[in-house]
Amino acid sequence: MKKAISLALAGAMTATLLAGCGGAASSSAATSEAASTAESTAASTEEATASEAHEINTTDPIELTISWWGGDSRHEAYQKALEAFQAKYPNIKVSATYGAWSGWEEAQSTALAANQGADVMQVNWNWLYQYSPTGEKFVDLRDYSDVIDLTQWTDAAKDACIVADSLQAVPISMTGRIFYWNMNTFKEAGIEEVPTTYDDLIAAGKAFQEKLGDDYYPLAIGQYDRMILMTFYLESKYGKAWVENNECQYTEEEIVDGLNFIQSLEDNHVIPTRPSMIAAGFDSIDKSQEWIDGKYAGIFEWDSSANKYQGALADNSGFTVGEEIKFGDKANGGFSKVSMGMAITTSCQHPVEAAALIDFLWNGEGAAIMGSECGIPASAAGLAAAQAADAVKPLVLEANTKVLAFVDMPLDPYFESSKLKDTTDGVYTDVFDGYSYGEYTAEEAAEILLDGVSEVLAAV
Amino acid sequence: MKISTAHKIGRFFQYFVLILVGIIMIYPLVWMVGATFKTNAEIFSGIGFITKNPTLQGYIDAVTQNYGGDISIWKAFVNTYSFVLPKVIFTVISSVIAAYGFSRFQFKGRDFLFGIMISTLFLPQVVLNVPQYLMYNTFGWINSPLYLPLWVPTLFATETYFVYQLVQFMRSIPHDLDEAAAIDGCGPVKILYKIICPMLSPSLVACALFQFMWSCNDYMGPLLYVQTPSKYPMSIFVKLSMDADNGFNWNRILALSLISIIPQLVVFFCAQDAFIDGISAGAVKG
Repeated sequence: MKKAISLALAGAMTATLLAGCGGAASSSAATSEAASTAESTAASTEEATASEAHEINTTDPIELTISWWGGDSRHEAYQKALEAFQAKYPNIKVSATYGAWSGWEEAQSTALAANQGADVMQVNWNWLYQYSPTGEKFVDLRDYSDVIDLTQWTDAAKDACIVADSLQAVPISMTGRIFYWNMNTFKEAGIEEVPTTYDDLIAAGKAFQEKLGDDYYPLAIGQYDRMILMTFYLESKYGKAWVENNECQYTEEEIVDGLNFIQSLEDNHVIPTRPSMIAAGFDSIDKSQEWIDGKYAGIFEWDSSANKYQGALADNSGFTVGEEIKFGDKANGGFSKVSMGMAITTSCQHPVEAAALIDFLWNGEGAAIMGSECGIPASAAGLAAAQAADAVKPLVLEANTKVLAFVDMPLDPYFESSKLKDTTDGVYTDVFDGYSYGEYTAEEAAEILLDGVSEVLAAV
Repeated sequence: MKISTAHKIGRFFQYFVLILVGIIMIYPLVWMVGATFKTNAEIFSGIGFITKNPTLQGYIDAVTQNYGGDISIWKAFVNTYSFVLPKVIFTVISSVIAAYGFSRFQFKGRDFLFGIMISTLFLPQVVLNVPQYLMYNTFGWINSPLYLPLWVPTLFATETYFVYQLVQFMRSIPHDLDEAAAIDGCGPVKILYKIICPMLSPSLVACALFQFMWSCNDYMGPLLYVQTPSKYPMSIFVKLSMDADNGFNWNRILALSLISIIPQLVVFFCAQDAFIDGISAGAVKG
């Protein structure tokens, strides 16, 4: 009898577990179906009106919602910009939802699943691929090109936001990786110029070790930085993008070459090993004692993070934006992407006015208020307005200009998939930490990396 | 003499180890208090809690930041308790009623229903997020100014953990008491609140306290269902300024966290005796 009861209980448990999952899946499928039918009707009406000019309604009361994530200064900038927008269009009331990044994606994706997202949404670049791969969640902004001046963005920037043949967002800003150096330490080691070649790096590694000691390194990079730097190196050496047409373009031998490149940096005392970095116990380099005191004298980081790293230094007088380093002759390589975009959800009732808001924020007067709060504006008019208003952080602008002038390879939208990038069990972490710890040979590490990347791409 | 010396030495080592471990356990909390007076550079450069150049800026920022009048720390407090209190009260009431049914009445399918209820214990919240959101959306409860999606479900004994705990506790209360009360003319409802509830009180306090703390710390729930900044509770307010891209002042975040847990600490210490009773009583008898 007891056995029967426990069997029944176990059965009930699995049943509810399965029911829970099934319920979630089927209901979200149902909504996406509903959404796509709604979308198709919306699309047909849009097509009908696309030829007509859109006119911004300046008389009837209209309510719009907008959502973004960020920190204090961004919240403040948006609020001021929205006030200015409402002063310009007194009939439009914009209510905002904002918060910190943590949990934001989960909350927004849930809202999108229920078609409850804000009318205008600040989106991360990969959301377009992840939540609207068929274009059902965000409207094609090209339909509103008479309201938003799309010519202010470069084609390359816009192309990155075209998913399912629909311009689902306009890029707010582009971002990329660049070197930053703490020149105070470099000078102590007798080096006056920022490193611009691979040989400079190796020479700096030697000088640091000899003059300053074993604790001093010219560059410190985490596991994900290593992945980026390796693709940077490979792309410049072999002249092909890391991933194209959903396939990794590199063979295992070529990846082994890339891993050896990273190893050569470690061997020549250019970068600390992963074990020594992990033993120091910080989760990002700006929080490490070594960076604060100048023992790590260089990083390979986002252009937008310049101020964070500068601010962390105990003595930041030597903080310098470096030059991108050309590792090969075939291409420049490098790493840049749309850092965030702004989209109109398909559930928006007033897309024309929403488009006007986007134009105001990134091409118009709003851009002067937003400044570089969301990164250096990708819109030409927006950047000009922000610069005229002196609202651009000079350090970030310098880094951003250097990155965008240099990088010549497109970024695979799945490069940052959490399966690869996760800092505890992501493929990159496994490969680069395992390799630095000596758990894998270069060949084994290359195989794991290639398998991991292919698996993620195959799931697309 | 000898024995007493040995005894003293033994005592010394006992206390030495206990005090040492105690300090290690409490140190992170002490450090957090110290860190509220430090600048970022000092926070990451040492584990000492004494500050070289103490600053009150963290506290000043914590109580003055108001996001253009949208939300301040005081408003966040009011918002938090305006849904946490009903949540706690309704959880206790509904859980007691459900537990009473399961532990005192024989009805068809009781064991089966109990099994189903227990199995929901194993359902992670993540899988429920989307379906629940869709359901509340059809009710029109998203961004409800009364926080309906956050506390209405607790009216229906949805907190399985507490129901289970109370069922176990009730089983240990002898049926003789119910029978005696019934002979004296009590109906089932009166038995519940005259006889069972008073005996259950330690366990009820434990339920209320747990629910209170979990609800105060809940981040994802309010993030999903509250979209108006002026209605944000404390858990969201504390994190509002945390921006990984540009960095932020940790002393302010820590000061905010410290202020935000004060009411929880007060409640905990007030209810401490009953709470500890509740946990251990449930453990032994259950």
